[in-house]
Amino acid sequence: MTQKYTRREFIKLSGLTAAAAAVLTGCGPASRYVVRRPYTDMPEYQQTGLSTYFATTCRECPAGCGLIVRTHEGRAIKVEGNPAHPVNRGKVCSRGLTAVQGLYNPDRITGPLQNGSEISWDQAVAQVSEALKADPQGVAFFLGLAPDHLFDLVSELTAALGAPPPVRYGAYGMFDARRTLTEAAKLTFGVPSMPFFDLGESDFILSFGANFLETWVSPLAYARGLSQMRRGKNNARGRLVVIEPRQSVTSGTADLWLAPAPGTEALVAAALANLVAARLGLSLPDDLASVDPKEAAAAAGIAFEKLQEVAAGFASARAPLALPGGSALAHANGLAAARAVLVLNALVKNLGRPGGVFLTPADPAASSFADVQDLVARMNAGKIHTLFIHGVNPVFELPAALGFAAALKKVPQVVSFASFPDETAALSTLVLPDHTLLESWGYQRTLAGADREAYSAAQPVVVPLHNTRAAADVLLSAARQLPTLAAALPYADEVEFLQARLLPLLESRKGFYDAPEILTFWSQWLQYGGWWPQRAGLEAPIVAELYAAAAPLTPPAPLASGELHFYTYPTQLGDGSGANRPWLQETPDPMTTVMWNSWVEIHPETAAKLGIHDDDVVKIVSASGEIEAVAYLYPAIRPDTVAVPFGQGHSALGRYAEGRGANPAALLPLSVNESGDLSFGDTRVSVQPTGQRRPLSRMENRHGVYDHAE
Amino acid sequence: MDKVIALTKRPAFRIGVGLVLLVLLAGAGGGLYLTQTPPPQPIQFPHNLHVGIGAQCQYCHPGVAWGPTAGLPSISKCWGCHQQVQKKSPELEKLAAYVSRNEAVPWVPVAIQPDFVHFNHRPHVAAGVACESCHGDISKMTVAEPQPRQNMGWCLDCHKTMAPENFTRLSDCSICHY
Amino acid sequence: MAEVTEEKMKWGMAIDLDVCTGCNACVTACAMENNIPFTGEDESGYGRGLHWIRIQRYWHGDYPEIKPDYSPMLCQQCGNAPCEPVCPVFAAVHSEEEQINLQVYNRCIGTRYCANNCPYLSRVFNWFDYEIPEPMAYYLNPSVTVRRRGVMEKCTFCVQRIHAGQEQAKAEGRPVQDGDIVPACAQACPTDAIIFGDLSDPQSRVSQMARSQRSFRQLEELGTEPRVIYLKGGGQYGG
Repeated sequence: MTQKYTRREFIKLSGLTAAAAAVLTGCGPASRYVVRRPYTDMPEYQQTGLSTYFATTCRECPAGCGLIVRTHEGRAIKVEGNPAHPVNRGKVCSRGLTAVQGLYNPDRITGPLQNGSEISWDQAVAQVSEALKADPQGVAFFLGLAPDHLFDLVSELTAALGAPPPVRYGAYGMFDARRTLTEAAKLTFGVPSMPFFDLGESDFILSFGANFLETWVSPLAYARGLSQMRRGKNNARGRLVVIEPRQSVTSGTADLWLAPAPGTEALVAAALANLVAARLGLSLPDDLASVDPKEAAAAAGIAFEKLQEVAAGFASARAPLALPGGSALAHANGLAAARAVLVLNALVKNLGRPGGVFLTPADPAASSFADVQDLVARMNAGKIHTLFIHGVNPVFELPAALGFAAALKKVPQVVSFASFPDETAALSTLVLPDHTLLESWGYQRTLAGADREAYSAAQPVVVPLHNTRAAADVLLSAARQLPTLAAALPYADEVEFLQARLLPLLESRKGFYDAPEILTFWSQWLQYGGWWPQRAGLEAPIVAELYAAAAPLTPPAPLASGELHFYTYPTQLGDGSGANRPWLQETPDPMTTVMWNSWVEIHPETAAKLGIHDDDVVKIVSASGEIEAVAYLYPAIRPDTVAVPFGQGHSALGRYAEGRGANPAALLPLSVNESGDLSFGDTRVSVQPTGQRRPLSRMENRHGVYDHAE
Repeated sequence: MDKVIALTKRPAFRIGVGLVLLVLLAGAGGGLYLTQTPPPQPIQFPHNLHVGIGAQCQYCHPGVAWGPTAGLPSISKCWGCHQQVQKKSPELEKLAAYVSRNEAVPWVPVAIQPDFVHFNHRPHVAAGVACESCHGDISKMTVAEPQPRQNMGWCLDCHKTMAPENFTRLSDCSICHY
Repeated sequence: MAEVTEEKMKWGMAIDLDVCTGCNACVTACAMENNIPFTGEDESGYGRGLHWIRIQRYWHGDYPEIKPDYSPMLCQQCGNAPCEPVCPVFAAVHSEEEQINLQVYNRCIGTRYCANNCPYLSRVFNWFDYEIPEPMAYYLNPSVTVRRRGVMEKCTFCVQRIHAGQEQAKAEGRPVQDGDIVPACAQACPTDAIIFGDLSDPQSRVSQMARSQRSFRQLEELGTEPRVIYLKGGGQYGG
């Protein structure tokens, strides 16, 4: 690997298409387009039978991991991690690995479509241009959490146009309750930053629902942190304690798992803060001090002795660290929970210290669920004439109760840049397919996953397979036809925009490589897969007035008879866009070993009471809607909680995704917490058997389920 | 009373079986023959002429020195010499036409191995195996001709003659099959 | 099987169960490297999935003190392999040079004796030709044979990478160094729980891990001499 990596000096893109047996080259320091070139121009470094490796950036989630993609005769063969990249250090997760199944997916949209019929790109660009000419207040952009460069371009575009700034939201942000976390950071540290948690140097991690081994913020970076923590300095093994109602991969790996009733995480954090403060002889602000640890433990359904044990371990550890995860924050009292967890960190004075909390420079610039609600309200009021959607599938990802699909019908022109025929593209008037990530230019600011500021570079590793076009290029071509916009956006194409955006990085002279001008910088940027400083360094949070703010800690009302807490969580399918990758479907879920479907996790005791057996189809009803899915008797969940993984239940998105499982978004409420994040953790449901059975495909069938040998 | 002749003893049956066998044999023979004849090439490239004037194999097939496949020359390589050579043969006219259209010559590879065999030129060249040991006496061929009986026994016959301490490695199944 | 000879060793793998999180990245990485076809919901539900490596999850304890125990299970590349002597056509053979178990696809006639004799259930069988629709076949790895119906297959320790690494080192005129050769699973593993290397070199990382007090081998009592070494997890440091 190392060998191949260093050999990639000044590598240009090349390869052989299967159909035309033509070689495609381009994208070196001087050229920017990936063009098809005949076999006659075979570059010197390209040898039939040898693979060529390109550095690029993953876009399967917003973490911004660096990839090295093996290409062979113009085809992308295998995704590997970029060993030099500060986020993932050569590692990849299942989602990143299956990026090639996205690129070569048989169900991709192969060219621009208007109301289902093919049009030319010139017609498409003319339509976009037409839309930009109309009332700017009626133009809206709804973007996903990746890629960052498109968000930056659209922000420039809307500012120049006088349109409202783009709304940026997605399931990853929803499940992590990221706005709540940044709000809490603002309340506690005075900076609305996504904090970076230095797991590797810590020796006692206390996670409140942060499933950082699967999807939380930057899973590969934090998984590496856990590995370092476990292997420890001088063989002193660190401990991991996870507090969440349903056992995830993270709590399964933990040394201690405590299952609080959903919504009581804020109380548990406050109780622990009291116990830790008492041990360290510190005082707490009134709202936290007023929580009685014993009562909190009783409300959460956790043994008080366990809390004392955790507090003792946390207070006496060399480098303790507390993580505020999404499932603890997505409640009405989520902001209080986030603040209590950050206060726990402040109590043990780990801010800015190895194994502690740091502030990241990049402003995540993500919207909250309340912003999305505002957009939907404007759509319903007929105030939006053109809606552009990129990198997000709102019809699938957002709660069905929001009525996004119905609101789309009130918008005359809906432009989707989806690469795949997803639920939102099906309801769009104009579908202008973007390239997939392995065919795209771009950059991603790493999201709280690196110990330094980092920009990750994306470049095409193969020539675009279909008649697709970069969304940035479509917008720039359309803007060029308008005199006002043409002056404000003086970029000939996407690459020129990227280079203009990278110029400040070059001029900062802080990177681990230096260049006299942008083209040399650009070639190194592509070769190394991004830009980051040589040495680690992040800002330390300062607690000016720790105890000033007070958000309500109010615990949720007790469950009514027949009611159960409902818990949903993203899996390896991510925000649901992974459902069309057959190998993500066939990779078993780590906890249940289920493949290719949704399941409902029910505690065996609860199932016995409700008369539900393994593989029974059950109906789950909430105030917002209902779904049917197959029961999985899951021994590692609270008896008063049922859980359904997120990502399946597609009605579109191609042959591998469609008609498979159920989408829990149908059950989610529309209530938001103080920060405007969806408090989906407060959902309550009833569960009833339907009398039908449908066996799940499980890996564990063949090898036995329970091992009671111990 | 009719004489009952066993089916297998009836002349018509015997002739029929014989014919079927003949057809099968001819088909098999023809198939085998086809695998051993050079495939039609877009240009009747005269290897003998090029080898005769002293062109080295690796000039046009340099891949053997650094990778698994030898590679076929691109038209830019051909044209590097031939734009200075008078075009007096019809085959050279064909080449000139490909060049003027900037189109790759669709050469048909001749020395190919089945999908489950992984052959790598580089270690063989590094060990000093001459090209003609496997590809035949190219100096007597125009277009490349497939060599008969290039099967596993043929590979092993040569591997057996190598140093005995290397034979464990050189006879390991995984060296070619994976 | 009868004679116990001195164990000859070469390639080996150590899996640290204390840092293995059970995330399944190795499973996907293996599939993408080795051209493993996906079989779909029904076939995988029948147990015909072609995973060369799987994460076995066993529950320990009862709620609320319950904990899953993961063990990645792959071909153990036995020194004394039960699959080898039962193959009637010598398709399951031992590599004397690399000291791994080979499966020669072009010899295999699909008797499945080897899989029946494997105590680790690590061999999988191609019951059908599983279609990969165009253009998805574009990502197939040219260094690995695409198997067809009726052929047994299993983990190869990424033998294509072993050969590439050895050949590269030889071309550069140097010995193979520890870490030169990394199988796809170990390369992807987010926590570096999987370490691959040469067991005959006492200084290699995998040899050092094999000497750990926490190390054990799966079904060691069968005398199969596995080349995959597991390190106990769950904080059971110091044996």
